Amino acid sequence: MKKQFSEEHRRYLAKKKRKLAVVWACRIGILVLLLGLWEMVTALGWVDPFLTSSPSRIGKTIASLYLDGSLFYHIGVTLLETLIGFVIAVALGCIIALLLWWSETLKKVLEPYIVVLNALPKIALGPLIIIWFGTGSEAIVFMTVLVGIIVATLHMLNAFMATDDNKILLLRSMGASKFQILSKLVIPSSLPSFISMLKVNVGMAWIGSIMGEYIVSRAGLGYLIVYGGQVFKLDLVMSATCILCILAAGMYFLVVLLEKLIVKDAKN
Amino acid sequence: MKNEILRFENVTLTYHTKRGETTATDALTFSVREGEFVAVIGPSGCGKTTVLSLAAGLLTPSSGEVTRRGSCGYMLQKDELFPWRTIEKNIFLPLEIKRQNTAERRERAIGLAKKYGLGDFLLSYPPQLSGGMRQRAALIRTLATEPDILLLDEPFSALDYQTRLNVCEDVSSIIRSEEKTAILITHDISEAVSLADRIIVLTKRPARVAFEHELDFGDENRPIKRREKPQFSAWFEILWKELNT
Repeated sequence: MKKQFSEEHRRYLAKKKRKLAVVWACRIGILVLLLGLWEMVTALGWVDPFLTSSPSRIGKTIASLYLDGSLFYHIGVTLLETLIGFVIAVALGCIIALLLWWSETLKKVLEPYIVVLNALPKIALGPLIIIWFGTGSEAIVFMTVLVGIIVATLHMLNAFMATDDNKILLLRSMGASKFQILSKLVIPSSLPSFISMLKVNVGMAWIGSIMGEYIVSRAGLGYLIVYGGQVFKLDLVMSATCILCILAAGMYFLVVLLEKLIVKDAKN
Repeated sequence: MKNEILRFENVTLTYHTKRGETTATDALTFSVREGEFVAVIGPSGCGKTTVLSLAAGLLTPSSGEVTRRGSCGYMLQKDELFPWRTIEKNIFLPLEIKRQNTAERRERAIGLAKKYGLGDFLLSYPPQLSGGMRQRAALIRTLATEPDILLLDEPFSALDYQTRLNVCEDVSSIIRSEEKTAILITHDISEAVSLADRIIVLTKRPARVAFEHELDFGDENRPIKRREKPQFSAWFEILWKELNT
């Protein structure tokens, strides 16, 4: 059934549409302008492309990586490390947060440890990680988990603790067990926080994996960046960074998609 | 005279916090008979909610005894409907909790919802309903497990005045026609007079029974009609004085 809108409402919708088009035009315009300027100043020789690289040189570098078959290999290595680290950090973080919510005493006991672990710059553990896990992907995954797990734990614990006291009282008056309170109320009401935690942890996972690759690696995008820096191939550094931007954005949008799938029920 | 369904016998309750202890109720003694609608009023902060928590068995008295025959259902100030559940699923919640989620019980609950005007909204989510309808849904949820006693903790105070009068009317007629025993906690004198068969006035903290009144409205149970009767203002005045001594 097609709804009949008044003339005024049609004009309102058209105005909304126009505004959105302007926003998108500006977004794309800024990107084109920046890339164009970058290309121009290097082509005209105003700055040395050896130091700044340029969009065309980045394109050529990516093309040559693709041609010698290493492009998807490096992307694959980093992507896999990031995803595995992300999943482990999120899963463990949620489980720990649940345990801490369940036991007030456990929470009190572990509080100072969590605070210290949260404040500690994880990169300080670099040498230890190399010694314990060697120089393979395990070390990088471990670094990724380390960076993400505390954030996931604290975020979810906050969400669990913020459950409405009156709703808990209501369930208790129905004779609910602690497990029922958890499954019927605490977990479902924490769903929006879970999504926002995922969004934060996407960023954390990339920090962890790239940081890990800086410390130890023989492949991956972080490896390309470090290697490119050491041999002064800034084209390679810029290319890997661009690919990272695209991958990180892609992963973020996957979470947004997940959010739309899960949360649509409640907002209907 | 009908059977006693709830009895408080010298009930004293002390709250303990780091800073010290507070006595909320002091040797509180009263009883509620089956099918009766009792309103409990008192100065604000006198421990009215504590009385309901004791009746519900959520708190254990420091001394004295609370005896209750049968199950109870609790209704709070706000509807506390879960926004991620449909109205229907919200009404089934206590059935799930009490593991009574049978087709028969569900059907009965849906029957109640339909009878009291929520039939078209069973598959809606709480934010789509008005405040009054949400509170009605909360009452149906409370009735779903067929409790013997209803504990009402200022269930109208979060509503605006117009809605409050209407919901008061609805809740009263639902409780009367389902022949439930109810205890209403409120600080609103006119609400107590328009709803109850009997009113218990509590003292300031620690709460004790200061006065008890059997109301004389006869068979008139409709809150709006009661508000028009001459006794209404007389009772209001009496209770007002008692609360302010």
